[in-house]
Amino acid sequence: MVFFGQMRSSDTHPFSPARQTLSRELVFVSGKGGVGKTAISQAIALGLSRRGRRVLWVCFEDPARPAGELRRISPTLSHFNCDAGQAFEEYAAMKIGLAPLTRVFLQNKLMRYLAKAAPGIHELVLLGKVWHERANYDQVIVDMPSTGYGLAMFQSAENFRNLFKSGPLARDSEQMLATFGDAAQTGLLIVALPEEMPLQESLELQEFLLKLFPANPSAFLLNRRFPRVTTDAEEAASPPDSWSTPYAASLDDYARKRSILESFNLRAWTDRGLAFAEVPYLPPANGKTFDALVVELADRLEKVLP
Amino acid sequence: MSPQPAVGQIDAILARRAILVTCGTGGVGKTTLSAAIAMRAALAGRKAVVVTIDPAKRLATSLGLDELGDHATDLTPLLRKALAKARQQQGPSSGLPPTLTGSLHAIIPDTRRTFETFIRELAPTESLAERVMGNPIFQIFAKEFSGANEYMALERLYALHRSGEYDCIILDTPPSRDTLAFLDAPKLLVQFFEDRLIRWLVLPANKLVSTGMRKALGILERLTGAGFMTNLFDFASALFEVRARFADNLKAIMRLLESPEVGFIMVTTPSSIGAAGSESEVRHFLETLGKHGLHFDGVAVNRTLGYLEADQNAGRYPEARAVIAGLQEKERLALTGVPVCARLPELARDVHSVEDLFHVCLAFAETLPHPASGIAAHG
Repeated sequence: MVFFGQMRSSDTHPFSPARQTLSRELVFVSGKGGVGKTAISQAIALGLSRRGRRVLWVCFEDPARPAGELRRISPTLSHFNCDAGQAFEEYAAMKIGLAPLTRVFLQNKLMRYLAKAAPGIHELVLLGKVWHERANYDQVIVDMPSTGYGLAMFQSAENFRNLFKSGPLARDSEQMLATFGDAAQTGLLIVALPEEMPLQESLELQEFLLKLFPANPSAFLLNRRFPRVTTDAEEAASPPDSWSTPYAASLDDYARKRSILESFNLRAWTDRGLAFAEVPYLPPANGKTFDALVVELADRLEKVLP
Repeated sequence: MSPQPAVGQIDAILARRAILVTCGTGGVGKTTLSAAIAMRAALAGRKAVVVTIDPAKRLATSLGLDELGDHATDLTPLLRKALAKARQQQGPSSGLPPTLTGSLHAIIPDTRRTFETFIRELAPTESLAERVMGNPIFQIFAKEFSGANEYMALERLYALHRSGEYDCIILDTPPSRDTLAFLDAPKLLVQFFEDRLIRWLVLPANKLVSTGMRKALGILERLTGAGFMTNLFDFASALFEVRARFADNLKAIMRLLESPEVGFIMVTTPSSIGAAGSESEVRHFLETLGKHGLHFDGVAVNRTLGYLEADQNAGRYPEARAVIAGLQEKERLALTGVPVCARLPELARDVHSVEDLFHVCLAFAETLPHPASGIAAHG
């Protein structure tokens, strides 16, 4: 296995790879489900827009918002709820050209079914839409679906390139993949929590992405780092596997064990010399709105943003 | 929230169901929880199996095993050992059964293999099966179709149930953003097999009566290139021959899911409950189940912190305490009005052996079985 994302020779700050990644015009924020991708990607978009850049924050088919909605959050920040059905229609119109022909095609029952159910079309048009939108903004920040499905999205573009040996679809897939694989244009950010499975999956995700995009290594961001209340020595003296039960006896015991466990888990990254940026565990926003949490998160991300 | 369905505790639920399906979004610890439920059934004397649809094979890690696979792995000897050890530590008053009368197995289906077995069973001839599987569209379909994993999970469940080898099956469904997305997969497949649609792809072009259809296919060919269209027609005509049997199979699966032998559990954690709140998530789950005529058995809440009490000598870790107190408050708010059937406390470390899982399995009880030992106690 080859691992990238290590510190670059001239710039040794552990946040550097993440900062560099977030300076690209198109940024994909991926990771396992539940690691906080939505809040993190929105906070990144907010933070970048505060620097005066025109930023588009993209989610794929968020059921909580109208399909295809484009909403202005601030003069420099917009949110787009990208919808595959809409993107497919736009794409077909663009490719077919003539309006009557496009109508025949889009209104055809079989085509409508194929567009909905054919494996990969859905993913392909969502990515295609994002790829086009990047021309309209300084930066586009994409909240990717959780690992499995997110991988499938990139994979589908690759599949189409292979499945259609010729024709416009094959050409477009090819060009899209070229953009995503170019480290000058696209940033791949992997978010993880200091837990065993998410860290493990982040490495698998990195490996998968590296196979697809060999010239564009991913950067890492650790979310929800619990306050560290133990020292190296304490952690070495009482590794998690020496505890007789997987449960904690009290609140303080939990705080101590969790602190040890996180350092222990993070060895998955640190042993490989991976550089990563991190955000502390913010106490949950009880009674606060999600947007308020995002503002707080954006403040904490200041040091990571380019 | 509209009238709450009454839900029992996990043991009562297990007693009345032959199959439990656990649903939930990613990262809620659904796989570990499902395995712990199966273990609880085994302790109650059942022949239990946990089927987990996870290409990453996390369950093996949680059980400390090198590998789990398509064939059932027998975990009974390891469970017997964990039980004996716990009885030794806790004494005869522990309430644990003296011997293990049930059994525990685990299966991680190989989706691709299940799909191929399924096609072979459906296809009237071996050569037709080979034709379908050799088709590049099928190969991508089997791997990438967002419903393939989900559909194959149901297919495998049905086959296991018919085999009669187990009297308790816990199906850990693939994680998805929508807790019940896997129920849509069969619907999409059924549409695909629908006569009206597939017939158009099977008919030779000169027989196409509708000019609209001829035009649309022509445009599709222009967009995708000729090679793809040949493959698509070939794939469609092969599927056309198996469609009736497929539809029958699917009907049988849906009948099984609707029967009172099968219950559905939603798995969540206090921290994964989104901005919309748990009530709306549970309501959505209930509505979807209702629409499909399926039985709801409650919400299993994983990773709860409510059990942690502040120590007497308070104030050692103010920053950590603030985070935990915030999480406990969020938990309290999030679980108000939720029909909980099981509540599992947050672990201080990950589960890495059948013995660890045994601890989790015991924690299904209302309170922790035993005060957990502090950090200083080793072994």
